[in-house]
Amino acid sequence: MTAMNTGGSTFSMPLGPVHVALEEPVYFHLTVEGETIRKVDLTSGHVHRGMEAMASQRNLTKNTTLTERVCSLCSNSHSFTYCMAVENVLGLDIPQRARYLRVLAEEIKRVASHLFNTAIQAHLIGFKSLFMHIMEVREIMQDVKETVYGNRMNLAQNCIGGVKCDVTPELLVYILSAIDKMKPMLEEIRDIYATNSMVLGRTKGLGLLPQEDALRLGVVGPVARGSGLKMDVRKASPYAAYPELEFDVILHSGCCIHSRTTVRLDEIFESFRLIIQCCKRLPGGPTIASMRQIRSAEACARTEAPRGEVFYYIRTNGTDIPARLKWRVPSYMNWEALGVMMKDCKVADAALITNSIDPCVSCTER
Amino acid sequence: MTDTLFAILHMAIFPGGIFALTLGFFYKSLDRRVEARLQRRVGPPLIQPWLDAAKLLTKETMIPRTACRSVFLLAPVFGFTGMAVCAAFIPVPGVYAGLSNMGDLLVIFYLLPMPAIALMLGGSASSSPFGALGFSREMLLMLAYETPLLMILLSVAMLVGKSLGAESSGAEFSLLKIIAWQQENGSLGFNPAMIPALLAYLLFLPGTMGVAPFDVAEAETELLEGPLLEYGGPLLALFSVTSAFKTFVVTGLGVALFFPGTISSWWPINLVCFVLKCLGLMLFSLTLVKSATGRFRIDQAFRFYVTVPTALALCSLILVWVM
Repeated sequence: MTAMNTGGSTFSMPLGPVHVALEEPVYFHLTVEGETIRKVDLTSGHVHRGMEAMASQRNLTKNTTLTERVCSLCSNSHSFTYCMAVENVLGLDIPQRARYLRVLAEEIKRVASHLFNTAIQAHLIGFKSLFMHIMEVREIMQDVKETVYGNRMNLAQNCIGGVKCDVTPELLVYILSAIDKMKPMLEEIRDIYATNSMVLGRTKGLGLLPQEDALRLGVVGPVARGSGLKMDVRKASPYAAYPELEFDVILHSGCCIHSRTTVRLDEIFESFRLIIQCCKRLPGGPTIASMRQIRSAEACARTEAPRGEVFYYIRTNGTDIPARLKWRVPSYMNWEALGVMMKDCKVADAALITNSIDPCVSCTER
Repeated sequence: MTDTLFAILHMAIFPGGIFALTLGFFYKSLDRRVEARLQRRVGPPLIQPWLDAAKLLTKETMIPRTACRSVFLLAPVFGFTGMAVCAAFIPVPGVYAGLSNMGDLLVIFYLLPMPAIALMLGGSASSSPFGALGFSREMLLMLAYETPLLMILLSVAMLVGKSLGAESSGAEFSLLKIIAWQQENGSLGFNPAMIPALLAYLLFLPGTMGVAPFDVAEAETELLEGPLLEYGGPLLALFSVTSAFKTFVVTGLGVALFFPGTISSWWPINLVCFVLKCLGLMLFSLTLVKSATGRFRIDQAFRFYVTVPTALALCSLILVWVM
């Protein structure tokens, strides 16, 4: 790690692969002039686990477990989308109750994921107390996960044809009370992010991704919505119980770090709306459909994970081992935008900008 | 001969050396504990800085292959020496009057930036790009916060000097006389003309101690501790010891400049009083500020120092001038 002189007044600076600001290993090669970043090169591949190859050695059921381990914060979205893809291949129609329960699990994970990203942003600004506070609020959601599903990270809720774990009426009451508890706390946090001069000074107007660049690069999720692009799979091609539930797509047109954070914070409230509707309208009936004969076919499915669109493609050959399983994760689409966001910004903001796309390295490299 | 011996004793035992180190480490751990409590955590035990330093002392000293060896090794020693000497100049009102009787305020002003210079030297000698960036940030920040400090010291010296009249030629730089004057005429912290200077001093503290919101040079999440990145083992321990000394020096100086009043003629009570006053100063201007803010970017920190504290200090200076 030496300060290589690359000629002129610039020098190169490594960000990663191991860096306090990055939760996962990825290597940014920054060309820096004074404190200003002139060029960004990205090298990845440190956490490649060969998951697509592993998927074509396991049967369809075991792959549910495998896909849930692609990523930690959006683990549920992966098994969710995978199960949807398999159900499409099999032509399975899942019970109505399972659709609602899937949305419930997905939205609970979304709240926890968005809060985690917001907390990390506070940590990167050096605002330790805010970080601790947000993590403390997030803990309520973690408790919900643990109480309802028995796990704090990987919920193991989805399975082919429906869901594994049914939610009792008492648990629904508990979930609603947890949301009641979280709401005022989150309103306060949203207020801090909207008004605190320290937070605004470090995030507003920085890491700009203009709308046309966002379109050109095909960014997804809160990154796209933070640049004013109305992109939400839940609305664009509704799945599970989403067509029957009311929620809004949050849009902010600031195109900066702060705008993306605001999208996330506002989306948490939309997730609360969805969770409350799920709890109140949860239909009765079975939670799982019976399995069908596996045929030779191909199918795909897409959902809106906390970071954006997750896409799964599956091809079967009549056996229970998939011939091909391929997925595209949101961070893969958002990576390229970093080059635009980081150009001509300060070294101090590099970590904040990286965090603002909520990168998931192990997803992307799998 | 005896003077030299006493000076050495003052540097090694009281108020420098062992006393300053114990107090510095005590403040550091208390700072961490109070911050933890403010964040609803438990925080480390009070003995933690000692344990950390002891552990670091048992570790190997690693020197990067591309580093400038001599500077890399000497920088922490340089900073430590500066602070160790400086600690002996800090008077403990009612207990100890300070090392020299003449011009010690100026000596302190020259010794105070030594840890920052050591950090800059070490950072640039480590050959790490993070160290280099930390170096440039530390230098900028130092330029910004030393100006208000100079103005604060000048306004104190001028106020006391004017009052003493012919004895001192316009400004009084002897801390001993400044304290004696305040014990007779009331603490400067309660003097309306000096309140802006006191505020400026409170704002100067987080900058010189390199804590949030002014921890830009070490910025863990940006520069991975910047200049300290390549340091480990005994050398890093030396930096933490230096920082403990500095905590004692800057809070002690604050007490001497603004609140040197004593409540008793019995020295143990005065000593406890001094410790508590320093503690109050530290908790108020370091711990509370640290737990209520994030980190400035270097340009924001620089702009802050050249505007707010400088304006406050200038305000006091002008008030003292015209009064």
